[in-house]
Amino acid sequence: MNARRLLPHYAMVLPFALLFAAFFLYPIISGFYYSFHEWNAATEPRFIGLANYEAVLQSRDFARAMTNLCIYIVITVPLGIAVALALALLVDSFTGFWANFFRSAFFLPVVLPAFLAATIWRWMYAPNFGLVNMILGWFGVPSINFLNDTGTMLYALIAVDVWVSAGFNMVILLAGLKNIPQDLYEAARLDGASRLQQVRYVTIPMLAPVLFFVVTYGFISALQVFDVPWLLTGSSFTAYGGRRSALMFPVMDMMGRAFGAVRFGEATAYGFILTFVIILFTALMFGFRAWRTPK
Amino acid sequence: MSAANRAIVAELYTWRFLKWVVAICVAIVAVFPIWWMVNVVFADPGVPVSINPRLYPTSLGSGLSKIQTILTETAYLRAYFVTIAYALLTILGMLLIGSMAAFEFALFDFPGKRILFGLVMLSLMVPTVVTIIPTYLLVADLGWLNTMQGLVVPGLASAFGLFLLVQFMRTLPREMIEAARLDGASHFKIYWYIALPLSRNAMVTLAILTFMKTWGNFAWPLIVAPKPEIYTVGQVVGLFNAPFSHQTVDVVMTANLLAVLPPLLFFLIFQRKIVEGIAMSGSKG
Repeated sequence: MNARRLLPHYAMVLPFALLFAAFFLYPIISGFYYSFHEWNAATEPRFIGLANYEAVLQSRDFARAMTNLCIYIVITVPLGIAVALALALLVDSFTGFWANFFRSAFFLPVVLPAFLAATIWRWMYAPNFGLVNMILGWFGVPSINFLNDTGTMLYALIAVDVWVSAGFNMVILLAGLKNIPQDLYEAARLDGASRLQQVRYVTIPMLAPVLFFVVTYGFISALQVFDVPWLLTGSSFTAYGGRRSALMFPVMDMMGRAFGAVRFGEATAYGFILTFVIILFTALMFGFRAWRTPK
Repeated sequence: MSAANRAIVAELYTWRFLKWVVAICVAIVAVFPIWWMVNVVFADPGVPVSINPRLYPTSLGSGLSKIQTILTETAYLRAYFVTIAYALLTILGMLLIGSMAAFEFALFDFPGKRILFGLVMLSLMVPTVVTIIPTYLLVADLGWLNTMQGLVVPGLASAFGLFLLVQFMRTLPREMIEAARLDGASHFKIYWYIALPLSRNAMVTLAILTFMKTWGNFAWPLIVAPKPEIYTVGQVVGLFNAPFSHQTVDVVMTANLLAVLPPLLFFLIFQRKIVEGIAMSGSKG
């Protein structure tokens, strides 16, 4: 009787549960298994212990990718969120038609698929006729090959990234701004707080939970950056990362090891190392939040 | 009016003025690359981009003929159909499977529910980097490389989609479900005729977000469907833009423009839903 009553419930959950098990749980387990084996998909996997992890951690590409990643993250996350917050405050200060207009305009880059943002910007950055160089040319700056000069490549990527993600974060922050009660600003104004002080002492503390989400999410997606640098450098599985690997990032390296070098064991180990970094980071963020939140 | 007051008024006016300048400048930076792409496509042929910076469109006819050339002389149209099929099948499958599961998780209790739901929510924390290669290997084992099911099926059990739908279905009126049950409606009928229509809002939001995500998905088709017959728009655009593709700027930009069109139209039509959907996923996090 009881089983017959429960059966319809399980039947409804079953399709999701099966697909979830097959395409999420199983890959994690099999990936963990592969990460301890040497395997090129043609021969039998051979157990080699932690050698894959060692190979990844000691490789020069890994060091290069991690260095690039650190610089990239340290700049792009704070900068992107500062820009997004400024845009959100800016849009919030308009009302009616213009608020909608500017919000839509600032959001437009988010609508583009990331692969397109990358390809358009590749042309904008092109030497000589690219728009960026043309504008610089008006001011007498000689043409810069942004995507082939190791000194500018990373910053060119960061600019694209901020251009793409600012609108996304802005929308989330705007929703948070709308939830701040107006009388808090009123009170601050009566106490003689300037506009900047209002932002510092009212807006930011009240936005803290939303900012926390945006920062955490921003970090997690920045750690996995792939499409944009891949396309900006015109990469393929056998040659990626751009000139002198200046735009080499961990996920690109992982994909190259899997589909270029056909070392699946090493690539899955790479995935677990990255996941470890991401989880460690997320835990730190949550710990930080728990510590900052008054009890 | 005292001097202090005048200073405040002056500050107010500079702030108002400055705010407009900044807003307009940022809007130009945000929109211009897309505008520039349109201009490159709809420009008279013959004048190199280096001489004419393409600040406005000059020729409708030449743009249309470029679009026609691309659609008829390259595999672009096929990629278009592949991507549309990929997006539609993903949306339909995800909505069906996700809403069935969400219906149970949100409204009923049964043994094992908490563990299962907890597991799915935990998976939201696991980044794609760790699953993408083993999932590819599984798809290869199944013989699904270069097939539509290989593109679609692994993405159907979306934890994010389930989360969104469960959040919404929790607010459905339980009395209606009880009443239907007393009237003798079967479990599936309650889901199909009551829960689904009432959840239309959340389903539409999820469908739109999924469309944008699938259309823009680059990495998964790149590894799972490397054959020209099943290239998605993302891959074709990548090829057009590759360093040695031997295509001129205006041809490449036409390919790019065609790829932007569907998400852009979606955005213009469903703007509010998209913005709400993103804002919602942020505030619940």
